[in-house]
This record gives sequence, structure tokens and C-alpha cells, in this order.
Amino acid sequence: MVEQLKTLDAAQATTSYEKSKPVRYGSLGRISAIARNAFREALRDRVLYNLVLFVLLLTAAAIFIGELSGGQERKIIIDLGLSAMLLFGVFIAIFVGVGLVYKEIERRTIYAIFSKPVGRGEFLVGKYLGLCLTLLVNVVVMGVGVSLALMYVSRGWDPLIPTIWPAVLLIYIELMLLTAIALLFSSFSSPALSALLTFLIFVAGHFSADLKVLATSLGSTGARWFFTGLYYVLPNLSNFSFITPAAHGRTPGTGFVFASALYAVVFITVILAAATLIFSRRNFK
Amino acid sequence: MNNERLKSITLGLLVVVGMTCAVLMVRWTDALRPPADPNTVDESLYLNDKTARRISLGFNGLVADWYWMRSLQYVGKKMFEYQGDLSLDDLSPLNLKLLVPLLDTATTLDPQFIAPYEYAAIVLPSIDVQQAVRLTQKGIAANPNAWRLYHHLGYIYWRQGQYELAGETYGRGAQIPGAPAWMEAMKAKMATAGGSRSTAREIYMRMYEQSRDDQVKEMVRKHLLQLDSLDQRDGLRKLFSAYKERAGKCPDSWRQLEPVFRAARIPVDQGGAPLDPSGAPYILKAGACEVELDWRTTKVPLK
Repeated sequence: MVEQLKTLDAAQATTSYEKSKPVRYGSLGRISAIARNAFREALRDRVLYNLVLFVLLLTAAAIFIGELSGGQERKIIIDLGLSAMLLFGVFIAIFVGVGLVYKEIERRTIYAIFSKPVGRGEFLVGKYLGLCLTLLVNVVVMGVGVSLALMYVSRGWDPLIPTIWPAVLLIYIELMLLTAIALLFSSFSSPALSALLTFLIFVAGHFSADLKVLATSLGSTGARWFFTGLYYVLPNLSNFSFITPAAHGRTPGTGFVFASALYAVVFITVILAAATLIFSRRNFK
Repeated sequence: MNNERLKSITLGLLVVVGMTCAVLMVRWTDALRPPADPNTVDESLYLNDKTARRISLGFNGLVADWYWMRSLQYVGKKMFEYQGDLSLDDLSPLNLKLLVPLLDTATTLDPQFIAPYEYAAIVLPSIDVQQAVRLTQKGIAANPNAWRLYHHLGYIYWRQGQYELAGETYGRGAQIPGAPAWMEAMKAKMATAGGSRSTAREIYMRMYEQSRDDQVKEMVRKHLLQLDSLDQRDGLRKLFSAYKERAGKCPDSWRQLEPVFRAARIPVDQGGAPLDPSGAPYILKAGACEVELDWRTTKVPLK
């Protein structure tokens, strides 16, 4: 099995260093190997090049925003930096996420993978974790970038720097959730449709509070049930929106962050389980 | 030169020449376009504040920043185009009909964003005082612990001559934990001498201390210069009266008062004229016991 997994790694162009490393046994080892490959593949696809754009954006903002903002440059740097972090992350989660499975099918490498003792669930979870690792690197580097930009505009340490990190954590959790959704759609649909559906879920997830209001204001019982159901079934992404309060130096309570993280873990588990269920019934012929 | 190379050079040249032509054509069409009518150039906002908030997804803070900067650009552009002298607290000649919806949208998107409320409190009273009060009260409702907003609301009432309301507002602001002691003092001052120059000076000095906006600071600085100049002119008039009592007539030139200025250490220019707070010499209305600002050189607001 070890040799087979090595072959699997080689099929995805691993480095010689990687080949010389001892391979772990068991399901976790296989998931870890797939996750590492997914991460390397994202690096090879130059996904992290978006960081260059992000740095340019923040540098320009830090230099020029002072003249345009009437003394509000610190707030605008945080809003801009964290919003760009979310937006870039959403694009990566959607466009890389929907291609994770599809590319393997398109290149027919999936046959080589599944000819080894790798479960379909392990494959999906590995791919998912690989993209999450890519997003983590992305988000951490961007968080450091925002902190440095704040230090630049404040000419030294800024008390707002520690307050942005809980918001960064919530953004990352939101991106993890979106990645799982993208993976779910890509397990049964084409990349274009998966991207569209994931984006719609992102939009609807931020409207979920309105769905609740809509449900309570409707006269028809059927419609009320429908929108209430939708409110509970769709991911409530407004739980992870803490950018605006962070710009005012407000941090979410530990309880809130914990509850949001737990909600995300439950949701991600459900989505990955559903994705595995669909994917394990899929015929690649 | 092979065909491939020739093709690359031709395409490269086409890109450069084409782009240059495009730039030149934009400049040409800009020159041909008739100037916009200042009365019709303001389009209404496409989105009302609540819709903008709803569709901003998780980016409401960033969209609020955009509306805020757009408000500043909107006012700045109108000020730039206006040919006359303007002060930030009297922009009524500019027809700023979009300012209220812009600031309203910014504050609906981010109700904790204090700067637009403060800007509204300073700029809007000369345009639409009711909207100025409404926006500042909206800010207080969303940020009940922001004592600075009470200071701004008090300022709006004070500008309207509603000293009782201004005093009440300062009093409510003074109750907030962390509010400075001078808020309570302002309450008392409004009750006893709301319209006095010392109250005005106190308000502007506090505003200067609190504001982070350079435009607001500049406006306040000019008001303080004006107040100083009014005090100085009152002092000079007293000197004229004393001189008239002694000499039986008003002074004809500043030289006649030179010993008094020297004794009182009042700065004068080479011609012996005392200097206003901006460093420009005052003008003596000979024989009338009156002094005025030199409108050609002074930086003190004339009205």
C-alpha cells in the first residue's frame, strides 16, 4: 500500500524530497498525502499570486487613502484589507474548489488514484484540506499585510492590530465553509455550474437574516415554512462577518467565535458527508 | 527576418500605435464635450441607504467608506469649481443636494462610523438644518456612548441660537462615562451666556481639539482667528476712545498711538499699524475712531 501511495504521489508530480519521506499508514496518512498534493498543486497553479495584487492594493491604499478619507485611513485600511481578504478568498475557494475534483476527472488521473486503496471520501477530504491549507497561508499573509499597512499609516504600533485577528479567523472559517460547498457542487456538476451555485450560496448566505424577516412577514403558511426552512438550511454567513466592527476596534466575544466555529464545523461535516455520498455513487465511465 | 518575427513586430506596433490613438481620441472627445450644467449634473443615487446595506453582503464597512469618500469628493469638487470664498460651515451656495443621501447611506451601512455624523453636523446646518439634526441624532441612537456626537448636536443648536436646547444636549452628553468635564461647563455656559464670544471660542477650541479632519480644523482655526480679531478690534476701539478723550479727536494715523502700542507690547508693522491675528496690518479709518481688516492681505474671515 505504501508503494501504491508513493505511485499516487508521483502521478501528481511530487518532489524528490517528498518521495524520500516515510509515508504514513492508514486513512489519515492517505488524506494527508492528498492534501499536501492539493496544496502543492495550488502553488503550481500560482494561486498565491493573488497576494502580489493584495500587497499592491494595500500599499496604494496606505499611501493615497490619507488624502481622500478625511482622517479615516486606519478604518479604511482595515475595511479594505479584510474585505479584499474575503473577496480574494471567496474567488479562490470557488474557482479552485470547483476544479479540485473536475481536473482529476478531466486529466483522467482519478483512475490512477482510485486504482489504489484510496477511498472516495478520503480523496474528497484530502482535496478539501489541501485547499484549506492554501487559504490559510493566503489569509495569514494577508493579515500580516494589513497589520503592516496599519503600522505604516500610524507610524508605529497601532492598537487596532490585535483586534483584526479575530475577524481574520472568522473570515477563514467562512472560506472553509465555502470551499466545502464548492466541493459538494463539483462532486456532481460541471465547474461553471458549481461556481455559479457556490456564488449564489455565498450571496444567499449573507441574506439569511432577511430570509428570516421575510418568513415572519409573509401571510401564507406555506411560504412562511419555506423561507423559515431556507433560513435554517442555508449557511448563515453573516455569523462570520466581523470586518466592520473590527475596523472600529471591536472584537467578537470568545463565546461567539466558538459558537460560530462549531456551527461551521457541523455544517462542513454535513456538506463533506453529502459530497462523499454523491461522489461515491458517481460513475466515471 | 522571418515571417514569425515580422508578425510579432507588426502586432506589437499595432498595440502601441492603437493605444496611443485611443488615448489621443479620449483627450479629443473630452475637449469636444460641452461643459456640464452645474444644476443638472447631480444624479440621484441609484440605491437608497437600506438597499445599499442589504446588497453589500459582508462588505458594508468598505461600501460605507466608499460613500464617505464620495461625500468628501462631492463637496471638494463643488468647492473647487466654485469661484468665490467659502467656509466649510457655510456651503449653501454650492447646491449640495446629494450630500444628505450620501452621508445617510454611509451611516446606514456602518452605523458606528462617527466621521460622517460629525461632518454632517458641521456642513449640513447651513444647507438643511433639520437633516443635520436628524443625522446627528441618528448617530447618537446608534452610538449612545459617543459623547462627541452630543457636542456636535449642541453645536448645531448653538448655531441656530437655540441655547436652551444646546445646553440640554451638552448636559446629556456630560452624563456619559468618559465625557470630559468641559461638557458640563458648556451646559452652564449655554444657560448664562449662550451667544457670547467666549462661548463661541470654547466651542471652536474643543472642536479643534477633537477633530481629525484637516478641513474641519482649518475652518475652526479661521473662526478662532476671527474671534481673536474681534477681541483685538474691541481693544483698539477702547484705545481710540481714550485717545479721543485726551486729544479731543480721533487719531488720524497709527503713529499717534505708537507709544500706547509699545507700552502694551502690541505687535506693529513698519508703518506702525497693529497686526491682526493672521499677521496682516489693520486699517485705521482716519478721524472715525474705527478700525477694519485689510481685505487684500488678511487671512481672517471678513464675515
